[in-house]
Amino acid sequence: MSEQAGNAAAERTRVSAPIGRLLGSEVRWLLRRPRTLVMLGLFALMPVTIAIGVVASNRSGGLVGNIVGNGLVLPVVALILAQALLLPLAVGMAAADALAGESAAGTLRGLLIAPVSRLRLVGMKAFGVLVVAVLATGVIAVVGALAGVLLVGGTDGLVTLSGTTVGVGGALGRIALAVAWTVGQLAAIGAVALAVSAWTEHPLVVLASVLGMVIVFGVLGAIPALDWLQPYLLTSGWTSGADVLRDPLPARGLVESTLRALCYLALGGGLAVYRMLRRDA
Amino acid sequence: MRGLRKVFGATVAVDGIDLEVPVGSVLGMLGPNGSGKTTLIRMLLGLTPPTVGTVELLGHTDPVAALPHVGALVEGPGFHGFLSGRDNLLRVAAAEPLLASRDIATTVATALERVGLTAAADRRYRGYSLGMKQRLGLAAALLVPRRLVVLDEPTNGLDPAGTRDVRRIIGELHADGATVIVSSHLLTEVEATCTHVAVLQAGTLVASGELATLLSAGAGGLVVATPDVELALHTLREVATAYRGAAGEVVVNDGPPAPEVVARLVHAGVAVHEARRSRTNLEDLFARLTEET
Repeated sequence: MSEQAGNAAAERTRVSAPIGRLLGSEVRWLLRRPRTLVMLGLFALMPVTIAIGVVASNRSGGLVGNIVGNGLVLPVVALILAQALLLPLAVGMAAADALAGESAAGTLRGLLIAPVSRLRLVGMKAFGVLVVAVLATGVIAVVGALAGVLLVGGTDGLVTLSGTTVGVGGALGRIALAVAWTVGQLAAIGAVALAVSAWTEHPLVVLASVLGMVIVFGVLGAIPALDWLQPYLLTSGWTSGADVLRDPLPARGLVESTLRALCYLALGGGLAVYRMLRRDA
Repeated sequence: MRGLRKVFGATVAVDGIDLEVPVGSVLGMLGPNGSGKTTLIRMLLGLTPPTVGTVELLGHTDPVAALPHVGALVEGPGFHGFLSGRDNLLRVAAAEPLLASRDIATTVATALERVGLTAAADRRYRGYSLGMKQRLGLAAALLVPRRLVVLDEPTNGLDPAGTRDVRRIIGELHADGATVIVSSHLLTEVEATCTHVAVLQAGTLVASGELATLLSAGAGGLVVATPDVELALHTLREVATAYRGAAGEVVVNDGPPAPEVVARLVHAGVAVHEARRSRTNLEDLFARLTEET
């Protein structure tokens, strides 16, 4: 035994690859997946479609109606619309591929044998899911801003829901806030999805769980008799996305929903780690 | 420094196996389907925790500490269909702790060369034949110099040339002092490449040890070819267990040494055409070990 311990100490070799290299490899893998690229492409089309629709119908009224002649509102409105289902779908898909998909393809074994420690593996996969959340949100925001400016017009500022006008700088700040807040909510969804992904080797189960969660939460939130549930539902804070379009900016809903997202993030992340440390691969 | 030692108990797949693989040996793991070979390998590599028992891998009880020195091909090759063979290997290489970042590209190219995949390296993995997939899995296991290489059914789906390549690669690893664990259904493969054998059946280890020792232990009695079978049996029954073998042959067990047996026969006037040890090959041994329950 002592001889073995001596040898083990003497060799003192690295037991893991540099973390930057692992993360880079993960992002490269994500961005070479055809489905990731197709998804981002379709997301880019979404604000363009809204812009064309708004210009063609030229009807005001409602959230979308605010875009008329007010192009810088478009990225925020597009984000709010996409957050209902499209963005959770994107994050769910990334999380499904991250652990369940790799397990199904037999590639999880390869990573674990390399070895990538199980804790690092969860970290690496969580990073990948977060990258997808940022890219998906970013594409909608950037293309939305461009489409708003080029197709809808109204570049001297943003007319808020409250009727005031903020300058271009302020408008960009509000778009950035919307992006950051949306990414926070998606990170919560992603963490829960990753936990499900750690439990199964069927990517579809992850996707179904994420969409099921968003829909069920939405339904529960709409039932008045269950209003005591509201504080616990991730989706009940999602109406505050539109707050970035108000003046002065009401911070309470945004902060509250972000804190709620952090709780989901901790819970999902904890469960994902718990399961991955024990999972058969 | 030792290969591994493990004690498992009370699991359905693998039940109470205690096995030590000497450093530098080539261990052939034999067993019918579902005998627990792959489960044993998965526990060894830390892919699944043993219900009871401990695993020691290259002197470490924590597999992660030893795994940088271990290459493995378990349960068939696992790669992504949308990436080329080279890109798949690059991804595996990025996770290898012992590989410096600047060496990754050349290491991957060398590994592809070694398994004969250079020409197909930039084609999508999805389009690979079974044998090519297996070769890519082998390349991933051999990316960096290893102290232990674990190959689960490495010749699955390979053509004769591929099988020869695997045999050559195992020989090279053995010559470099690496320990190799090969599981296989192909008994001739094990007989040709291994120094040690472990035979599993229904989750238990039914035989293990050096190939040569197991072979001689499994050897039957002396086979004597003679036209005078009756006389030979009559002569030998006084000193040994003798019975009819194939036509014109007598099998002698538990008797005196071979020269004495022959001498007795000749004295009794039996014409001895040939006397030889019945060498059981591994296939007989394997069949016998797994059939007697």
